Amino acid sequence: MEREYSRLTRKILLYFGLVVGAASAMFPFLWMTLSSFMTRGETIRRAFIPENIQLANYVEAWHEANFGLYFENSVIVAVIQVIGTLTLSLLAAYPLARMEFRGRDTIFAIILATLMIPETVTMVPNFLTVTWLHRNTPILWLNSWPSLTIPFLTSAFSIFLLRQFLRGIPNDLWEAARIDGAGHLRFLFRIVLPLCRPPLLTVGMFTFIGSWNSLAWPLLVTNSSEWRPISVGLQQFVSEAGAEIHLQMAGAVIATIPVLFVYFLIQKEFTEGISMSGLKG
Amino acid sequence: MNNRTKDNFIAWALLSPALVVLTAFGLFPILYAFYVSLHSWRIKRDAFIGFKHYLQAIGDPLNLLAFGVAVLGLFLIARFRRNLSSGSSILVKKWSFFLYIPAIWLLLAYGLLGLIETGDYRLYNGFRVTIFYALGTIPFQLSTALFLAYLLFNSLRGKGAFRILFFLPYVTPAIATAVVFRSIFSSHPLSFANGFLELLGLEGERWLSESHSIVTLALTRLGFSDLPLWLDTAFPSLALVSVIFYNIWVYVGYDIVILLAGLSAIPNHYFEAAKIDGANSWQLFRHVTLPLVSPTLFFLSMVAVIGTFKAFNHIYILKNPGAKDSVDVISVVIFEQIFEFHNAGYASAMAMVLFIAIIFLTFIQNRLLGKRVFYGT
Repeated sequence: MEREYSRLTRKILLYFGLVVGAASAMFPFLWMTLSSFMTRGETIRRAFIPENIQLANYVEAWHEANFGLYFENSVIVAVIQVIGTLTLSLLAAYPLARMEFRGRDTIFAIILATLMIPETVTMVPNFLTVTWLHRNTPILWLNSWPSLTIPFLTSAFSIFLLRQFLRGIPNDLWEAARIDGAGHLRFLFRIVLPLCRPPLLTVGMFTFIGSWNSLAWPLLVTNSSEWRPISVGLQQFVSEAGAEIHLQMAGAVIATIPVLFVYFLIQKEFTEGISMSGLKG
Repeated sequence: MNNRTKDNFIAWALLSPALVVLTAFGLFPILYAFYVSLHSWRIKRDAFIGFKHYLQAIGDPLNLLAFGVAVLGLFLIARFRRNLSSGSSILVKKWSFFLYIPAIWLLLAYGLLGLIETGDYRLYNGFRVTIFYALGTIPFQLSTALFLAYLLFNSLRGKGAFRILFFLPYVTPAIATAVVFRSIFSSHPLSFANGFLELLGLEGERWLSESHSIVTLALTRLGFSDLPLWLDTAFPSLALVSVIFYNIWVYVGYDIVILLAGLSAIPNHYFEAAKIDGANSWQLFRHVTLPLVSPTLFFLSMVAVIGTFKAFNHIYILKNPGAKDSVDVISVVIFEQIFEFHNAGYASAMAMVLFIAIIFLTFIQNRLLGKRVFYGT
């Protein structure tokens, strides 16, 4: 009986801890959503729940604070980055994982080494490179999509993650394909590609988040609102219009929705893919 | 074309697009940054000035030499003491410990203090803030995550749902959540953080706008006045602590997901064997779970250290004039050199210093922590 009792207390304590943790994780979201529906007066006196839901905040943020345009820019940039990263990284990961050729291990070691280099170090020279390209090539790089996307069309991390996955594909599949007369390219596109759904979703999600979040680089390479992404838009709005908390929060909600939407769609594969990245392999 | 050459050709053809991008925007920048750092360079290249930027940033080369000698000395002493182990007497072993004292003295007095005095204040302040930031974040973040992951691991129902909820802060754009924290931790008397203090019967604080250190603030509250200024240098400011809260809130979820994977990889019979031997739940955690999950914790601490050196987005948004330079981590310092002062040459020199510091740090971390990690049999 006593044993039964202590087990129950432990269970209650366990779930209490989890619920407190989850509540603290969720609280800022609740705060953000509630504040985005308030009037300016309500945010100034820091009400907790809006009296009437002010959908007009969103209309104002979208049109007058220009978040509509920024949102569109961010979507275009993110889509180009995701498609590019998935294609280029998978193509590069395949030979690194499943082909024999001279220099393979050296190339892979170099790719891993670039993982260590933080963006802070590459940011300044890359800005100079892009400025040079802007002046010396017919393409407009600055204040336009190329500077926001081309440097990010692949990443060492995504190549690494995909290579780890590809190495795990049983060799029997390759043997069977070869007997049927398939070469590497046929094998890659017909057999490997369909199997790669989970790691591709993970890499795609990471790229999407990274692109959506980036701030330092777009601040450097855009100085007009034409190609400004939502991250920069929100940052500028916050630093310029300090007191308009209800509009800031509406902007924050607008910036959050697409990421959460994609996350809930592929939540299972994404968390599994992330777990995989932490294990030795 | 025979099969081998054909495969070689295919391999390089598949690799080349990714390699072009990685070389141009991942590897080349390191060489280019070094080249730029040797020039006076604003918008365009100007005169070659050698290592002048580095001297300006780091400080007197003699102090740098002292610093290097001291680090090398510490390394050699540690090695010497390890090799002593078996043959020599206990006395030698004990006394050789005091060899550390002159080396550490050289490191601090001649090396570090001299460098800070002769070098660029902003750079060293950036490193100081980054170190506070890392030390304030990583232990709390990892222990909170381990605690919650352990609870989650032991819970029977709702695992998936809790995992999604804990993970949300990590996937949500930092720009958006940082804006929310800016408002929660604002200096406004009615802000949420101040409302919370009021509930506890305390006076309000200036949070993200507070450049004084938490120790100074605590002592002032206790009635001390005329506190020395070095207290603000030796401890993190309240503004930085608020940033640390934000960082912990974001990354705990990521750590939980990775730790859960690590915990699930532990074979069940370890737990059962320990239970049969009569281990209670604390012993089970301390002597079975913790050692077996230590490789995962090590991995996460490496990721977190690199992460604090990369941290920019949320800090740039949470940064407030009131906090002065007390939240300016090294990446913010470098960014402002290029964004506000358009000084590409000097910014590149600082970036190179950061790069070397990161390599050095990863090396040290590997040596110090890597040994304590238990990888099983």
